[in-house]
Amino acid sequence: MIIYNVSQVTRYLKNTLEGDTALADIWIRGDISNLSRSQAGHFYFTLKDAYGQLHCVLFRQKGVGIPLENGVATIAHGYISLYEARGELQLYVDLLQPEGMGIFQLEWERLKAQLEEEGLFEPSRKRPLPTFPQRIGVVTSPTGAVLHDIINIVQRRYPLVELIIAPTPVQGDSAADGIAEAFRNLNEENIDLVILARGGGSWEELWAFNQEKVARAIYASHAPVVSGVGHETDLTIADLVADVRAPTPSAAAELAVPDRLQLEKHLHLCLEALASAAEAQLSFKKNQCQGVIDQLRSLAPPTPLYRQRLTQLKEKTILCLKELFRDKRQRLHNLSLTMNTLNPQATLNRGYAIVQRSSTQEVVSRAAQVHPGDSIDVWVRDGSFLGQVTT
Amino acid sequence: MAEEMTFEEALSKLEEMVKTLEDGGLTLEQATALFEEGVRLANICHQRLESAELKITQLQSAFFSEAIENFGDEL
Repeated sequence: MIIYNVSQVTRYLKNTLEGDTALADIWIRGDISNLSRSQAGHFYFTLKDAYGQLHCVLFRQKGVGIPLENGVATIAHGYISLYEARGELQLYVDLLQPEGMGIFQLEWERLKAQLEEEGLFEPSRKRPLPTFPQRIGVVTSPTGAVLHDIINIVQRRYPLVELIIAPTPVQGDSAADGIAEAFRNLNEENIDLVILARGGGSWEELWAFNQEKVARAIYASHAPVVSGVGHETDLTIADLVADVRAPTPSAAAELAVPDRLQLEKHLHLCLEALASAAEAQLSFKKNQCQGVIDQLRSLAPPTPLYRQRLTQLKEKTILCLKELFRDKRQRLHNLSLTMNTLNPQATLNRGYAIVQRSSTQEVVSRAAQVHPGDSIDVWVRDGSFLGQVTT
Repeated sequence: MAEEMTFEEALSKLEEMVKTLEDGGLTLEQATALFEEGVRLANICHQRLESAELKITQLQSAFFSEAIENFGDEL
């Protein structure tokens, strides 16, 4: 036999309680009483029914889906452990829901709240789907009509892809593990996009899509995920984590690939735009050409006008010249008359003589110009003779 | 060489050409060449859509070994 310290026993009890999986994740129905709030903002209360009660602590108000008041009937989720300092057994509550909710709904709300807080649904985390995917992973059952529909839709809309089927059960005990494995396998492939799909079913049949491991597998997917689970009214946790939620599997396939008809239409529009742009270029160049031609034309001399002016000028010039000639001729005539009177020959003809000094050929018009002995030339009407000055 | 292009590459190149042509500022020769190349790309895109065949492969699964045989019937 051994004697234990108190704290050894409380530690042992605490470890034993926390090692019990049933107590680690438990839903408990009861009424709230003895509600109090600590200065740090924690809530302490007792959960009780007609035959028993449990001390409870709630460290955060986040998971409270009911008015927190004494007497309220609730369903609490949490784990049971021992508060060693007081030796008290406590339910550590992380979620309070109103009494009357089914267990699936309760679990759904709990997981949703938890994953939401972890940021798995963050809108900023949502990745856009590629416009033109080349390799598409499909996580679904290989036996259902769903895969058939997906293949048909992709074939019809955009057959330029490769579908990589990652088969998995989509209901039953192994469904969640199967889906998680399918995502892991697809992460090894070079995939542009994953379609996660399942046909309609009861809430229980869709349950795998509300399980944490599936949510985390979707979150960890390398490629963006489009989910199409059940009908439009079935919102699963998987839908919340997926990058894009489609209301049905068929809708997921349609979101995954572009539509060939639309693409053909787009191609047609591209061609039209191409043609009209080319045409616009052509007519622009044509206009440019015409502009240059017009400019040239406006700058070129107005030939007929010039020709006319030229003719006029020519005529005028000729006229002027004629006048000038007449004028000149008249002047010449007058001049010749004058010249005649001035001509020394005319004087000689009248009987006069002109005397030149022989040495200088200067005309002697005064007596002082010559001295005795100088030679002189004497010009008369019909010639000259030599003379000498004597006195 | 352009024949090796994927649909997406050909389409985005075509869209680029439309834009370049619409922006203008090209010589007549450049514009004509762009137009011809654009028409060729549009034909490639069209042909890709016409002649494509959906490829399907299947991964192994530890949880669904028996159903894999049924997979062939599904197609």
